[in-house]
Amino acid sequence: MATWQLVQYVVTGITVGSIYAIVGLGFTIIYSVTGIINFAQGEFVMLGGMIAFSLIGLGLSMPVALILAVVLVTLAGIIFNLVAIRPAGRASTITLIIITIGGALFIRAVAGLYWGRDAVPLPPFTGDESLSFLGAYILPQSLWVIGITAVLMVGVYLLLNRTLVGKALKAAAINKRAAALVGIDARMMSLISFALAAATGAIAGVVIAPLSYASYDMGIMLGLKGFVAAAMGGFTGVRGVFLGGLGLGLAESLAAGYISSSYKNAIALIFLFAVLLIRSRKLMVGEEGT
Amino acid sequence: MVDILQMKGLTKAFGGVIAVNKLDLEIHEGELIAIIGPNGAGKTTLFNLIAGVFPPTRGQIFFHGQALAGTNDYQRARMGIARTFQDVRLFGNMSVLDNIMVGLHPRSKYGMLSAAFRLPRGHREEASIRLTAINTLNMVGLGRRANINASELTFGQQKLISIARALATKPRIIMLDEPAAGSNVLETQEISDLAKRILEMGITVILVEHDMRFVMGTAERVVVLDGGEKIAEGTPSQIQNDRRVITAYLGEQEDQI
Amino acid sequence: MMPLFIRGRGKMLVIATLVVLLSIVPLLGNAYYTSVLIIIGIHTIVTVGLCLLMGYTGQVSLGHAAFYGIGAYIAAILSKTYHVDPWLAMVVAIIATAAFAFAIGFPVFRLRGNYLAMATLGLGIIIWILFRELDWITGGQSGFLDIPTLSIGGFSFHSDFRFYYLVWGFCIAVMFISQNIVGSRMGRAMRAIRDSESASQSLGINVTLVKVKILALSAAYAALAGSLYAYYVGFIDPPPFGFLFSIRLVVMAVVGGLASIWGAIFGAASVRLLTEFLHPFGDIDVVLFGLIIVVVVILSPQGVIRGLVDLWRRISRKLAPS
Repeated sequence: MATWQLVQYVVTGITVGSIYAIVGLGFTIIYSVTGIINFAQGEFVMLGGMIAFSLIGLGLSMPVALILAVVLVTLAGIIFNLVAIRPAGRASTITLIIITIGGALFIRAVAGLYWGRDAVPLPPFTGDESLSFLGAYILPQSLWVIGITAVLMVGVYLLLNRTLVGKALKAAAINKRAAALVGIDARMMSLISFALAAATGAIAGVVIAPLSYASYDMGIMLGLKGFVAAAMGGFTGVRGVFLGGLGLGLAESLAAGYISSSYKNAIALIFLFAVLLIRSRKLMVGEEGT
Repeated sequence: MVDILQMKGLTKAFGGVIAVNKLDLEIHEGELIAIIGPNGAGKTTLFNLIAGVFPPTRGQIFFHGQALAGTNDYQRARMGIARTFQDVRLFGNMSVLDNIMVGLHPRSKYGMLSAAFRLPRGHREEASIRLTAINTLNMVGLGRRANINASELTFGQQKLISIARALATKPRIIMLDEPAAGSNVLETQEISDLAKRILEMGITVILVEHDMRFVMGTAERVVVLDGGEKIAEGTPSQIQNDRRVITAYLGEQEDQI
Repeated sequence: MMPLFIRGRGKMLVIATLVVLLSIVPLLGNAYYTSVLIIIGIHTIVTVGLCLLMGYTGQVSLGHAAFYGIGAYIAAILSKTYHVDPWLAMVVAIIATAAFAFAIGFPVFRLRGNYLAMATLGLGIIIWILFRELDWITGGQSGFLDIPTLSIGGFSFHSDFRFYYLVWGFCIAVMFISQNIVGSRMGRAMRAIRDSESASQSLGINVTLVKVKILALSAAYAALAGSLYAYYVGFIDPPPFGFLFSIRLVVMAVVGGLASIWGAIFGAASVRLLTEFLHPFGDIDVVLFGLIIVVVVILSPQGVIRGLVDLWRRISRKLAPS
């Protein structure tokens, strides 16, 4: 087993894992603030990549196209919140699940109609000459992915845990009425969280598209894997989602490399059930505030 | 005097916090005993340990001499240990009568099959369940409210129903978790009378309570907990004058009594 | 539980009318209507089970298509590959699926809320993958063909006309049984669990066992429906048993009113008819489907019938002279 092979798999794993982490971050942001699992999170990622593609096709320069794409998707997230989430008020978990799934179906279908079913390419940020690293090749785009992921993780962690805004965001999730008493509007917090999640999702889409193409249905699997990463952080922990995403990416890459690539998606499901198993043990003791 | 419940060395720790600490306590059959203590004294944890909501970290509980280790809450309910909740927890989307009929679940048997095919056994049991539930409802004076939605009752009425519901399980012991909380003077009196009537039915009553007037006027024996340990036990008047109790409740300012 | 505005004799009347109307349809001779209603009937059977699980017991399942698929595949494989009598194959399919649900129910129901939803989702996906990958038994992606038809003695249910009455016969029976369960001691336990699990446990109800039993029952219904589907179409492949169908089922249950047995017909019919209606729009159909789901669920989370009733009440209150 050549070392360079291992390094290659690890590099790929960390790159892919970083994407899972960013997608998972979106789940974490929304859940921490609203307690909702946003099944449409993967679609924000997809929209990021696809819109960037279209904007570049219109002749806009890379940096402008990327930033505009993120802005537009953030807008989409805000609209989604206003149109589908806010009117639902204090709906039950199952209603919210249906709403976000319905939203995801809608967004995906519209994307499929507009952009067609084919995968589209995006040019890499800084050229496509592989760099050599410990005998393996690493694309500069991968470095972008890893770098941006790190920045986002740190940024969101600080935002949620160290700033006043972050505390306000979380307060609304913990106790709406108490938060309202100190002037925090839960609905506004919900809106902000969706905007943030859409933004981070779009960044993920924009940054991964040069590596693995964008297509109208890329949101499904990414969404599932991001979900798993978020679940490993209990849906509230930034460190957990980061490590979880990386772990998942690495496991997938190593499995694909050393066993067979058809097992890639099975890894995510295995991780999912492992997380659920662990959670179920935790939930055994004391429910409903005994 | 027979002991219906015995706790030996009962300890419960949540992570680093010891909620109940090596507690030894006997509950005599047919008595009305109150467990009091300042906030965080471990009263609710003790309740939950007896009810079987979670297992103790150490120690044993005996019910009629039989060790309860390994049994969980629904099994203990079937064995005859009933409890109410501080926050009531009625089944809000069901009628008042339905709530009580759920209490009769462990004392009845007909299952999915009999129900699905309308077997006569089901009809018979259902009629008997209904009758018993109506009688229990009448016992707490809310017979006329049988068919309204449980969430439409006043808080005081909901409390009575939750007690009636627990009584329907035909328990040997009933544990009332802060039955007087949030009630006005009239309602508190009603609950006190109810507690005494339950006693007359031969059921042992254990209460956890903060309302001192209620405790003094209702309980025969009082046990005081503080920091998860028993610091005093005796009749209400003995407890009232106990130095340690006063200190536990009021800190060091005994003069303020 | 019938929508509250219909009680007693009114309820009987509505049900009777429904039964009469349903009986007449095939006699109208329109093949399209008949086949659509057969599918609606099959879907209703699954939806009733889902209502029992979600509406009455308060749980969630985003993977119910798996039970439907397992029922279909077992019935198909036993009757065609192993030449088992189709009726027997169906019975085996129902029992096996229910047993499977019973077994996985215990670990699964340790979870609540969103985690439970994800577990059911994950399980549904895994089983769907198995339908696809175990192609030496199931025929994999290319599907499983030539499934025999049901028959009693010489009377074979090969025509839509006959199959229609078979399906709806089962459907009415399933609804009758479910209605009986809901109004019984078991039904009270289910609703109690939905409202407060801890209080239910404190009253001596073995909450986990009840949930598992209802899951098994709903799986049995799904397997029955799946078998009927296999016998009807004569051919099955993995796509109808995937995530999308699980979601459709949930939508059917919600639209008809989660806690309503009879509403299940309405829910299944609405979703089916909506899909048929959107067909000519070509690729936009999923777009509109998603949109409509969201709108309906937001406007009337208790189901469309309830939503319309509430709307009616509000309107009549405004119109009535004070």
